[in-house]
Amino acid sequence: MKPFKFISATSQEQAVTMLSKNAEAAYLGGGTNLLDLMKEHVALPNELIDIGNLKLKEIKATTGGYSLGALAKNTDTANHPLVRSNLPMLSKSILAGASAQIRNMATNGGNLLQRTRCSYFYDISMPCNKRVPGSGCAALEGFNRMHAIFGWSEHCVAVYPSDMAVALAALNATVKVQNSKAERTIAFRDFHLLPGNHPERDNSLTHGELITAIEIPKNNFSTHSAYVKVRDRNSYAFALISVAAGLHLSGNIIQSAGIAMGGVAHKPWRALKAEEFLKGKVATTANFTEAAEIEMAGAKALSHNKFKIEMGKRTLINALEMALKG
Amino acid sequence: MEDSKKSIGKGIDRIDGILKITGKANYATDYPAKNMAYAVLFKSTIAAGEIKKIDTSEAERYPGVLKVITHENAPKLNPEGGLRGGALLQSPQITFHGQHIGMVVAETFEQATAAAHLVKVEYTKKSEKIDFEKLAQTPEMPKGKELADLVRGAGKSALDTAEVKVEETYETPIEHHHPMEPHSTMAIWEGEKLTLYNGSQIINGAQSAAAATLNLKSEQVRIVSPFIGGGFGSKGGQWANLVLAAVAAKMVGRPVKLALTRQQMFNSVGLRQRNIQKLSIGATKEGKLLTLAHEIISHTAVDSEYIEPCGDCTKIMYAVPNSLISYRVVPMNLILPTYTRGPGKSTGSFALESAMDELAYKLNMDPIELRIKNEPEKDPSNGKPWSSRTTVKCLQEGAKAFGWNMRKLGPGTNKVGDDFIGYGVACGTYPARQRESSAIIKLKLKDRKVYATVEIAASDLGTGTHTILAQTAADGLSIPVEQISVKLGDSDLPPAAGSVGSVGASSFANAVNDACTKITHELLAKSGKQFFVRPTAAQLMISENTAEFETRSNSKAPADAEKFSSHSFNANFAEVRVNGITGMVKVTRFLAVTGAGKILNPKTARSQIIGGNVWGIGMALTEESVIDPRYGNFATRSFADYHVPSNLDIGNLDAMFVNEQDIIPNKMGVKGIGEVGIVGVAAAVANAVFNATGKRIRSLPITPDKLL
Ligand SMILES: Cc1cc2nc3c(=O)[nH]c(=O)nc-3n(C[C@H](O)[C@H](O)[C@H](O)COP(=O)(O)OP(=O)(O)OC[C@H]3O[C@@H](n4cnc5c(N)ncnc54)[C@H](O)[C@@H]3O)c2cc1C
Ligand code: SF4
Repeated sequence: MKPFKFISATSQEQAVTMLSKNAEAAYLGGGTNLLDLMKEHVALPNELIDIGNLKLKEIKATTGGYSLGALAKNTDTANHPLVRSNLPMLSKSILAGASAQIRNMATNGGNLLQRTRCSYFYDISMPCNKRVPGSGCAALEGFNRMHAIFGWSEHCVAVYPSDMAVALAALNATVKVQNSKAERTIAFRDFHLLPGNHPERDNSLTHGELITAIEIPKNNFSTHSAYVKVRDRNSYAFALISVAAGLHLSGNIIQSAGIAMGGVAHKPWRALKAEEFLKGKVATTANFTEAAEIEMAGAKALSHNKFKIEMGKRTLINALEMALKG
Repeated sequence: MEDSKKSIGKGIDRIDGILKITGKANYATDYPAKNMAYAVLFKSTIAAGEIKKIDTSEAERYPGVLKVITHENAPKLNPEGGLRGGALLQSPQITFHGQHIGMVVAETFEQATAAAHLVKVEYTKKSEKIDFEKLAQTPEMPKGKELADLVRGAGKSALDTAEVKVEETYETPIEHHHPMEPHSTMAIWEGEKLTLYNGSQIINGAQSAAAATLNLKSEQVRIVSPFIGGGFGSKGGQWANLVLAAVAAKMVGRPVKLALTRQQMFNSVGLRQRNIQKLSIGATKEGKLLTLAHEIISHTAVDSEYIEPCGDCTKIMYAVPNSLISYRVVPMNLILPTYTRGPGKSTGSFALESAMDELAYKLNMDPIELRIKNEPEKDPSNGKPWSSRTTVKCLQEGAKAFGWNMRKLGPGTNKVGDDFIGYGVACGTYPARQRESSAIIKLKLKDRKVYATVEIAASDLGTGTHTILAQTAADGLSIPVEQISVKLGDSDLPPAAGSVGSVGASSFANAVNDACTKITHELLAKSGKQFFVRPTAAQLMISENTAEFETRSNSKAPADAEKFSSHSFNANFAEVRVNGITGMVKVTRFLAVTGAGKILNPKTARSQIIGGNVWGIGMALTEESVIDPRYGNFATRSFADYHVPSNLDIGNLDAMFVNEQDIIPNKMGVKGIGEVGIVGVAAAVANAVFNATGKRIRSLPITPDKLL
């Protein structure tokens, strides 16, 4: 590990100012991702600004919906009565991730910014464009069983690992951030990026920007939603495929659907085509299947992950069925 | 002694349990020492070639750094000294990715780690041999004589005329041991004497290998290893870390701690190799085996051979007149494979017991019945009589306890919701042996109570050696367990076998038991009296008011043991639920029924068996180390990628022991349970998956993608 300075911020402004001044500084949330990356010599900050004491831990109802403090712990968020009863899909997605111990440490802001689990990214003896831009992508022709089937580029085929973010995408969340000049809000679909020519960039934050909250608009999915995660073991594994699905039904007609997939792309993959297809349709297995097929038609597999296309289709249908059951 | 008064056979708590849960049990790097320095290894990033240039200057200038050691300044060691895996910093040659190429010694672990990143290495690369799939098409004959082709009767040719045939290929991946305690060593020199604190399954083996490698006499080296955080074979033979710590300590003139990181464990301390196993079975329509062939292709290091004996179960499990067992191997630029729990038997039984299951389905016969039908009267491999064999008992008692009759024969017919339910069975075996060991018993009389100390250079992997030896001495001396202390894990103690190959319990317990018998005789002789009822050692100490007394004895396997074939046997029963949509598998119930002779402590024994079962389930469902053949490096380097099973993957585990008395292999009738607990497990799970889904997965692990 490279030596670093450690500072505990006492106010939001102080944190933002200090980080903005030093291009090699990083915020420290729960540390469950950043410290691992530092031990592996992948992240090399020379200064850590601990934001653990900032008052950004509240989970509350707002006029338009709900607000989750960036520093609320994943466990507290998943178990909060507001989240459990109004955003069950979010609660389930958080609990499907990591382990109880990690969720107890992990913060909502940190969760959004966790980096890919591509094993080449973690191994500094391997080429990786995300870690060292221009060095090549070892996964493109390598062991890419866990990797993307949507939206990848030849510069990077990694997937974004968060479960929580998949539900947030389906729920149309926004991310509230503060920089040294102002506050701004970023729509979830614009928050995480596809790799394109710049896989070193995971998201649209600029250096110094602090996530303060995640906001979720009111929705009509709470009685019909599901989070289904397929993984190599029943707990403590990243998704091969995951699907967050919410249905707004009147009778058996789908008014609207919110669907996103995890384990398939460099960002939570909003299944817009499936959503569009389902709008106004009857909630039947046949329609769910057609929606899944339409969505998966755009998938492009790599050498080791062809199974993800069939698995993705099945999981999509399954999540919609589970959402329908409620 | 009456059975009810005996300590042996009782499931008492571990005598070292409190020490462990209160953190007072010292593992290798827990010992305090003044003026400690820390060594951190750095590794090659190519798989084959040579170091052209190594620039350590920046690392040397880093704060706190005491020394950077590479092949350019390391002392000359003896690479034939008995350590495994090379990597002793003796030359610029690179034979595998992740070979140690140097170490930084610094005031702190953090400084050493940071400085290790500053070493600059230039290589001359050679083309590496690492693509197993390609290389396996042109394998070589192994060098080891015990791995020569073994043909009985007409060998495989009898297959041509068989009425029913199974010919299938089974694959198992590279696995890693990953004990909870990664390998770590603390080295302290006092003049020409060296003490190495190091988790060692074989204390005297570690001592002689370290001494020989360092060009020292054995007496100059002391190994201290009272507690080991697991080893599973990876701490049986010792690896470079053991002596590199000593080299570093010598070069900086201070005590040195050297601990591997979890990531370094992937290419530092061996592995279970990948195997391709072809099973060919020919049988009559009635299910009598006519021929059984097991052809194995595996890999080893480029400069040294270790091949796990996958054909061992096949040699002895079934009565069959014609058989073939063959091994072929490809040397690869990869660390030397090594003993890994149930070496050969766990992976070999996956192939054999899957194929038997396939045969049962072809014959439309219950797989238990098929096995019983082919039960051999004698050891088919050598014609020796069994000292005892419990396969049939294990199958029958297990079937009853497990509710085997609830199994639905037709695959895919037992469905609850989205889940398919299936039952599987598979058998296993492991040799029972006693190895030469010595022990000292020291008795002390205090306040009319007798206290005993047992001394033996045995090892305790965490399995309960301390406890079973206290129980053995308690019965041998007629002293309560609480008045016995056990000293082990130190090469200054009387030499003993190791905790390897399931010889530990039998070798250590018999040595202690013999020492108890001897000391009782000696006390009797010393008293000069005749007794009507022979008094116990404790009674003699008190009646003769002897303050202190000790003896030492040496034990070996009984002379007749070799005339028999002695093994532990088991039958494994698995119930799985397979989600029909996602392909995710959960083992909802697992029962292992084991015949392993005398069970010294049912509680620690049960833990051993279910521990083996868990790893077997991991082998079946989750564990796989993947190499990227373009680099020769593992693409799975952390527990995020190398999946050991989690609690949610496994429901109820249960272990039963069949009653078995067999004093042929050793006087106490102990057969050993450490290895057999994993044998047959993966096959039972895979067979259950087939019963559930109708999908026969012949390549482990059975991940969800394979069941779509
Ligand atoms: C073994 C293991 C298994 C896991 N399995 C899963 C899984 O199955 N599913 C899943 O979803 N996750 C999983 N995780 C990941 C886990 O969810 C994340 O590590 C965690 O959410 C990160 O939160 P943190 O607060 O600890 O982040 P940190 O490690 O503290 O920070 C992560 C990044 O975010 C930045 N940051 C933190 N807070 C802010 C803020 N408020 N504003 C701006 N930047 C900020 C930091 O600078 C850093 O770059 C796993 C992790 C581990 C170690
Ligand atoms: S997929 Fe992305 S993260 Fe993985 S090696 Fe390629 S560039 Fe790096």
